[in-house]
Amino acid sequence: MPPFGKVLVANRGEIAIRVMKAVKEMGMKAVAVYSEADKNSLHVKYADEAYYIGPSPAIQSYLNIESIISVAEKAHVDAVHPGYGFLSERADFAEAVEKAGVVFIGPSPHAMNSIKSKLDGKRLAKASGVPISPGSDGPVENLDEAIKIADRIGYPIMVKAAYGGGGTGITKVDSQEQLIEVWERNKRLAYQAFGKADLYIEKAAVNPRHIEFQLIGDKYGNYVVAWERECTIQRRNQKLIEEAPSPVVKMEERERMFEPIMKFGQLIRYHTLGTFETVFSDVSREFYFLELNKRLQVEHPITETIFRIDLVKLQIRLAADEHLPFTQEELNKRVRGHAIEYRINSEDPMSDFSGSSGTITYYEEPSGPGVRVDSGITLGSYVPPFYDSLIAKLIVYGEDRISALQSGQRALSDFKIGGVKTTIELYKWITREEDFVNAKFTTAYISQKSKEFLEYLKRKEMTKAVIASVMYSKGYVKKSGNGKKETVSNNKNKWKTYGIMSQSSYRVLW
Amino acid sequence: MKIIKVVTDQGDSYTFATEKRDNKDLMKAEGAEFEVEYLGAGWREGEHLVKVNGEVHTVSIINGHLVIDNETLFKVDRVIEESLGEKVSFEELFKGKEGEIVSPLQGRIVQIRVKEGDAVNKGQPLLSIEAMKSETVISAPKGGVVKKVLIKPGQGVKKGDLLLIIE
Repeated sequence: MPPFGKVLVANRGEIAIRVMKAVKEMGMKAVAVYSEADKNSLHVKYADEAYYIGPSPAIQSYLNIESIISVAEKAHVDAVHPGYGFLSERADFAEAVEKAGVVFIGPSPHAMNSIKSKLDGKRLAKASGVPISPGSDGPVENLDEAIKIADRIGYPIMVKAAYGGGGTGITKVDSQEQLIEVWERNKRLAYQAFGKADLYIEKAAVNPRHIEFQLIGDKYGNYVVAWERECTIQRRNQKLIEEAPSPVVKMEERERMFEPIMKFGQLIRYHTLGTFETVFSDVSREFYFLELNKRLQVEHPITETIFRIDLVKLQIRLAADEHLPFTQEELNKRVRGHAIEYRINSEDPMSDFSGSSGTITYYEEPSGPGVRVDSGITLGSYVPPFYDSLIAKLIVYGEDRISALQSGQRALSDFKIGGVKTTIELYKWITREEDFVNAKFTTAYISQKSKEFLEYLKRKEMTKAVIASVMYSKGYVKKSGNGKKETVSNNKNKWKTYGIMSQSSYRVLW
Repeated sequence: MKIIKVVTDQGDSYTFATEKRDNKDLMKAEGAEFEVEYLGAGWREGEHLVKVNGEVHTVSIINGHLVIDNETLFKVDRVIEESLGEKVSFEELFKGKEGEIVSPLQGRIVQIRVKEGDAVNKGQPLLSIEAMKSETVISAPKGGVVKKVLIKPGQGVKKGDLLLIIE
């Protein structure tokens, strides 16, 4: 008996399709919503029913709570799955869904509200015994106090906005002079971005890795931790490659974290999937709590792969008041092999990862042993400039890390996407890079290696252009457009220059 | 000797000076040199072999895309060629004419920080474009005076659109 009759998926792209697959497999109907820009998207075609919710900008469609609730009512759905991003961690949305008499597949508004700010999370982490990095206990009153705390814990420190997210409002500070310099500015930025100027201080970890734990809970107070994911390979605080389990964490180190994380879940009565983000120091072998992400994560498939469980189906069952089907001990016994996820983003690594939108003119997906692709596009899809740049995810599996890497190299070579720039070429390079293969990396890896990579990519692009010009001279490449042969002398004064993209800054637009 | 400029469907361009030597092409680009030889048909139907700096690459043409070594793609939008003469130097051609700032990506203009008549320094932020959750600041590739601003805040732009002109 399916837990629900009809489920509305309040999202788009790759994750909407992923959730709908689980919904269909469980014998339920899947309802999609779409904005103007997405009317011909794959997720709209894949759903059993699809409803228009507004213009292209997310704020008028995928973030429009009223519009989505009215679809839920019109389509008579029993439950809403928010995916990730957009409204997935908004307590007011979960409340509105419940008020409409529909089940929200995710944490209760109460659980979300109890960890609204990062400081609430920190306090609860401390109470449940999850290690937290030394720093201020709450918002720091003023600069004088900030200097005192910094002197006590020692530089470098992190100055963070209490209500920030997605890497915004975080500054690393190395000295007192720098602290004086950034204090007022960060207060102002935090106020502008999040409506609250509260700042707090934490000791900055040296050479950190970013490791997160998968918490799963039910409504009856049962909890398990589906181990950890290594998410250290990032650019601008955005993950690119994730692995499960972490190649550096030892069994006793991960087990040390299970109890306190479950305790945290009990304290806020958390009854669905959640992710404990931590920084891990290779030197001190300590984890420090960052925050609890209250949603299904982008990188959930690698945990699914090594545990051989379907987290989306499980999440739906938990929302339908079912019990956790396994204990921690049973879960530990399920672990097999190693999984890696490569996020295929439509962005140009050569231009500081700026977004690349357009129509997909060529599409070949990898398949075969140990390969899974969760994609939101197909040949002819349009990638609009309005949303996140994630278009597909490549997940590879092996008996051990090396065989997973080998599957990854092969699958990345088989993955061909034309029409937009992607991060595939970057990953092909990384998977052959010695430090990556030996799992010797920190969150600074991409920026440290960017020069080397850009040189490689430039050489490769040049070679391709050389081959193109040969094929042109042999007449195998036809001229496109009006077929007129342009000459340099007609154009030499018209050759345009791209501005220098020097300060690309990450900003959350929803 | 010829100058060849290859432009992709994504708006990227590559400029080479080329010279024929025996049956080989010698192609010179900014900071790199390539010795190129077209070897003829490959092992599979419709496949070509091209030798670049001693390495043989296979090329198939599928719906206008060059599939190179069965793993990467390259799509040519147009190729511009001209015999090298007049007073144009290599360096000038490789760099292109500076001053016309075109959009490096598709997105929406969020902020324009300069107006016509403003003097700008090299590296000074000119405007920012928003696309896919991130904001990209476009800086001046050279110093000069802003001659023309062709865009308005809020406007959508495509890759390659002319944004402003610096003189």
